[in-house]
Amino acid sequence: MDSEFSPLASPAPQGRAQRREFLKRLAVVASSSALLADLPWWTPLRAEPVGNSPADRVRLGLIGAGTRGSFLLANLLQTPGVEIAALCDDYPPHLEAALAKVKGARGFSDHRQMLDMPDLDGVLIAVPLFLHAPICLDAFAAGKHVFCEKSLAYSIAECQAIADAHRGSGKVFQIGHQRMFSPVFLRALQLVRDGRIGPITQMRAYWHRNGNWRNPVPASGPDPSPFPSLERRLNWRLYLDYSRGLMTELASHHIQVANWFLDAHPVSCAGYGSINYWKDGREVYDNVNVVYRYANGTQVVYDSLISNRFYGMEVQIMGPEGTIEAETGKIFSENPPPAPGIVQLINGIEHGFFSAVPIGGPSWVPELKKDTKGSYLVQDQSTDDGTAISMAAFANSIRANKPIPGMMEQACRSGVSVLMGHNAMEQQQEIAWPEGFRE
Amino acid sequence: MKDIIIPGRRIARELWVLAGCFAAAVCVNVYAILRFHTAWKELITTLHITLAVAAVFYAVLALVRALVFGLMRVFRGKVA
Ligand SMILES: NC(=O)c1ccc[n+]([C@@H]2O[C@H](COP(=O)([O-])OP(=O)(O)OC[C@H]3O[C@@H](n4cnc5c(N)ncnc54)[C@H](O)[C@@H]3O)[C@@H](O)[C@H]2O)c1
Repeated sequence: MDSEFSPLASPAPQGRAQRREFLKRLAVVASSSALLADLPWWTPLRAEPVGNSPADRVRLGLIGAGTRGSFLLANLLQTPGVEIAALCDDYPPHLEAALAKVKGARGFSDHRQMLDMPDLDGVLIAVPLFLHAPICLDAFAAGKHVFCEKSLAYSIAECQAIADAHRGSGKVFQIGHQRMFSPVFLRALQLVRDGRIGPITQMRAYWHRNGNWRNPVPASGPDPSPFPSLERRLNWRLYLDYSRGLMTELASHHIQVANWFLDAHPVSCAGYGSINYWKDGREVYDNVNVVYRYANGTQVVYDSLISNRFYGMEVQIMGPEGTIEAETGKIFSENPPPAPGIVQLINGIEHGFFSAVPIGGPSWVPELKKDTKGSYLVQDQSTDDGTAISMAAFANSIRANKPIPGMMEQACRSGVSVLMGHNAMEQQQEIAWPEGFRE
Repeated sequence: MKDIIIPGRRIARELWVLAGCFAAAVCVNVYAILRFHTAWKELITTLHITLAVAAVFYAVLALVRALVFGLMRVFRGKVA
């Protein structure tokens, strides 16, 4: 094991009291480490602990109570000082299921009516991608703080419109890229900035699944409008009118990490995609490969497919001194300390006994993957993926009425990058970062 | 059930054999440290491996001793 990297201790939150304790400990971590203290989105976590007075309570509404919305709701219900005042979904089964989980919350099928509630501080938006921008813009116009799920928007023009609406609004905006709040990724960033892997020379990320990426569709159900069918309502991510497929739904997470770690947006990208396996009427690619080019000469290589899950998902951050595999939460040194002498001796004897002596074989040693174990970035592997912490950060920012600096920049960079990737594949040509885009 | 009685002398002998195996394992560790230029602190940090090597030595020795003992019995029987 490379013992030179000491892991960051991180607690795992469970009950409400433990969550409170967890946030307190995070606040200590945030202020005790120079680097973490530097990260703007940790500022709200360093706020005073939440009291029990009504003034401390933040009243939130959730728009879109599907898979992700339900997960956000479960986290919000555990977050100190948060009141879920309203829930909105235009699909009755989802709205009813959500209302059953929150006593006293008002239910809406139209988000505009919900935004009319004067005592609502902020909203969380977890609807299909094509609705992110219109609902974000309505929420800013209604003077609400906004948490919007990733990816930022369906088109580059919409990304720009959200950034413009937010600028000068004085409202909190947060994007659903939870890795920004993950202790594992923060530790990884800290090690990168400390120079532990040297300068980043390449990043590689992939997300592989083996499944059709579909939700089951009942034979009959409520009126699907404004979607033309229940299939499109429930499987919106498979159709180009509502989503940009693997790029916006999966890649956006890892491209956000790449932009964040490289502290830049890509200057251009090129790539290919196709439907080579799931030929079931879907419109979005079932495999994508995109290479992003950065101004300093670094490349980020991304691929995703849904017909093989052997390699799962990973973000690899590589430099001349080491590699970080952030999803696994490990760091590997290029030159790990040698194994103890006695272990080397035993290995030598074992190989002497059991390896065949090559006769007339290749004279080179195959450069296969290194088999070093690496060391964990944080001690507790059951740690939150960042969602719980991001919910607390959103609530705290609203309570303090202080937008998190840099958040919109992160949202725009990842949102625009994945749309560039989509356009590159569609047009089969290199696509440049949109000139004049204002984050 | 019949009680098996192990005489004290036998126990003492086995303990000496075990100690010898441990000493041999430590010697192997010293050789490995010199051979691979690793740190002397490994004498302590790899104690668990040294103990495992000692156990392997002891087991191999027990096999050899059983074999020798068996052969000797066979020969003695033939001579008698
Ligand atoms: N951060 C993450 O890790 C993560 C994970 C999954 C999904 N997401 C994002 O969350 C969003 C939702 O994804 P999902 O998987 O929950 O999809 P989903 O289809 O399960 O849920 C979407 C919900 O929005 C509702 N909805 C649609 N139009 C609406 C409208 N006009 N008003 C109110 N509600 C409306 C739908 O009825 C549905 O309940 C997407 O943007 C997705 O990319 C993020």
